[in-house]
Amino acid sequence: MRNPVFDIDNWREIGTTLARNKTRTFLTAFGIFWGTAMLAMLWGGAAGLKGMLMRNFDGFATNMGAILPSRTSISYKGYNKGMIIRLNQTDLEMIRQKVDKIEALSGIVLNVVTVGYGSKSKQGVNAQGVEEDFFNIQLPEVYKGRLFNTADVNSMKKSVLLGKNLADEIFGQEDPLGKFISLNGIYFQVIGVIGQKSEAQIGAKLDDSVIMPEKVMRGAFGMGTNIDFIVFTGRQGHDPDDIKPDMMRIFRLNHPIHPDDDQAVRMMNIAEQFRMVDNVFIGVSLLALFVGAGTLIAGIIGVGNIMWIIVKERTQEIGIRRAIGAKPRDIIVQVLSEGLVLTAVAGIAGIVFATLVLFVVDKATYDPVTGSAHFLFSLTAALWIMFIFLFLGTIAGLIPSIKAMKIKPIEAMRDK
Amino acid sequence: MIISLNDVNKTYPGAVPLHVLKGINLGIEKGELVSIMGASGSGKSTLLNILGILDNYDTGEYRLDGLLIKNLSENHAAELRNKMIGFVFQSFNLISYKNALENVALPLFYQGVSRKKRNRLAMEQLERMGLADRAHHMPGELSGGQKQRVAIARSLITNPTIILADEPTGALDSKTSKEVMEVFRQLNRDGMTVVIVTHDPGVAAATDRVIRIEDGLIVPAKPQINV
Repeated sequence: MRNPVFDIDNWREIGTTLARNKTRTFLTAFGIFWGTAMLAMLWGGAAGLKGMLMRNFDGFATNMGAILPSRTSISYKGYNKGMIIRLNQTDLEMIRQKVDKIEALSGIVLNVVTVGYGSKSKQGVNAQGVEEDFFNIQLPEVYKGRLFNTADVNSMKKSVLLGKNLADEIFGQEDPLGKFISLNGIYFQVIGVIGQKSEAQIGAKLDDSVIMPEKVMRGAFGMGTNIDFIVFTGRQGHDPDDIKPDMMRIFRLNHPIHPDDDQAVRMMNIAEQFRMVDNVFIGVSLLALFVGAGTLIAGIIGVGNIMWIIVKERTQEIGIRRAIGAKPRDIIVQVLSEGLVLTAVAGIAGIVFATLVLFVVDKATYDPVTGSAHFLFSLTAALWIMFIFLFLGTIAGLIPSIKAMKIKPIEAMRDK
Repeated sequence: MIISLNDVNKTYPGAVPLHVLKGINLGIEKGELVSIMGASGSGKSTLLNILGILDNYDTGEYRLDGLLIKNLSENHAAELRNKMIGFVFQSFNLISYKNALENVALPLFYQGVSRKKRNRLAMEQLERMGLADRAHHMPGELSGGQKQRVAIARSLITNPTIILADEPTGALDSKTSKEVMEVFRQLNRDGMTVVIVTHDPGVAAATDRVIRIEDGLIVPAKPQINV
């Protein structure tokens, strides 16, 4: 038996028949090309969009919660409703002792300061006092120097981290490390320059703030024991929503909050946000797959249609070939190879095109800090698309060629 | 006997079954030039299809060069057609987008003969038909007579046991018809067995023996009177 794949004559045959009707070959090829390209682009595009959205949360622990104290909504223990709740060190200490579902915990103190260095000064700068654990909850990008450590906190040294934008504005080309800056007239030494990995923010954006240990901040500016909010992450397997009741019990103990008052202290659950994004993109991916599969099927029907016409048109030729000794297998292989070559060439072109488009989009949306949004699809996905296309293309070609075999050669030859 | 049919019957099934061949008995010797004549509906096309292994028959026996041709698989039939039978058709049946040489070489393609060898053998056959200078012409660029000679060259390339021609002059003018018949006579003189199916008495007259078929039966040959 001749092997049709390694027989140069078979390839010549395929070449001549495909070249015989260039317009039709081109249009069919374009249908397949577009089908594969669409499927691949939707596939990669959905992944990329998700990547872009997830990028906003980069650096944040995925099971993070933030406790935001507010006003009471129910009068309680003789206090009118609408009273401002202020959390303090007692709350933090009790949470630390009693709530064991928590992995990392940091109270955050906010202040607005005027920054001065040499002749330069800048008003209205956000100052954030955080605990060391904060950097385990929101991982920052360290551009220069280092973050503060337990020794810095315990010594109560006036060390400060500068946000990247602020550092650029005040120091320009100068190296800020080790320099002293004044915050509301008090001098602090710069030990590092940091920034956020992504756009999402708690409190103020790190890039525009000065950051120091909250203990140092409260001490330096005489801010007492109040804290503005709390961020935390749950231990493995504990969602922030599970932990909230434990914390609320402590807050109610320390503050006049009615048991039914769910407005006094609110919680933002990042885990929930992540789940939401995930769900949205499961939907988007399904939609992409659905639309892509539709395009693909339309392409395949196009191939089937064309193969049908090709076979119909060549009934007489097939009859002649069979009369002079072509076996059914020879004819089927011939018709199939034409379909397969067309599908393979156009399909590969479609995938290459989609790859280029995604590559350009990926470059265009590239972020210097968080990197690529992954507008990509894997080689495996590409191979799957090709495989499905070739498989369906084979079937699309097989049906008409089998039909053609049912016509007797003598009748086929008479066919005009 | 190169062709021997013994009580061959063929019925086309349908609402009204059509008994086309009603017991054909026929013998053709090697090296004969015979014609099968009959009106349309006489069953001559069906007979030709059976002789050419293009169709099956119901009962009886058909032997081609001693080989029983009955209930063959499509693959086996294709192989036998390719090796034992050279077809020549009324409408030439050349493949329009292949040149004369490629058309002639095509049966060898299905035998898996290399391109080089195929083209050499095809060129020999075209030379034999006096068409060497037309080898690279497309069928559309050839006259009817030339097309039929290309078809004859194609039928000869596998060195078949018999040549089966179905109204080979049906689409040709009388002068060209004579030329084509002369080609067949020449082939026959070279030792080829040729069977021509026709309704044209002129063509039949140019053969050595005429077999008449009427209403699904062979008409017994009348004693020939030579004047």
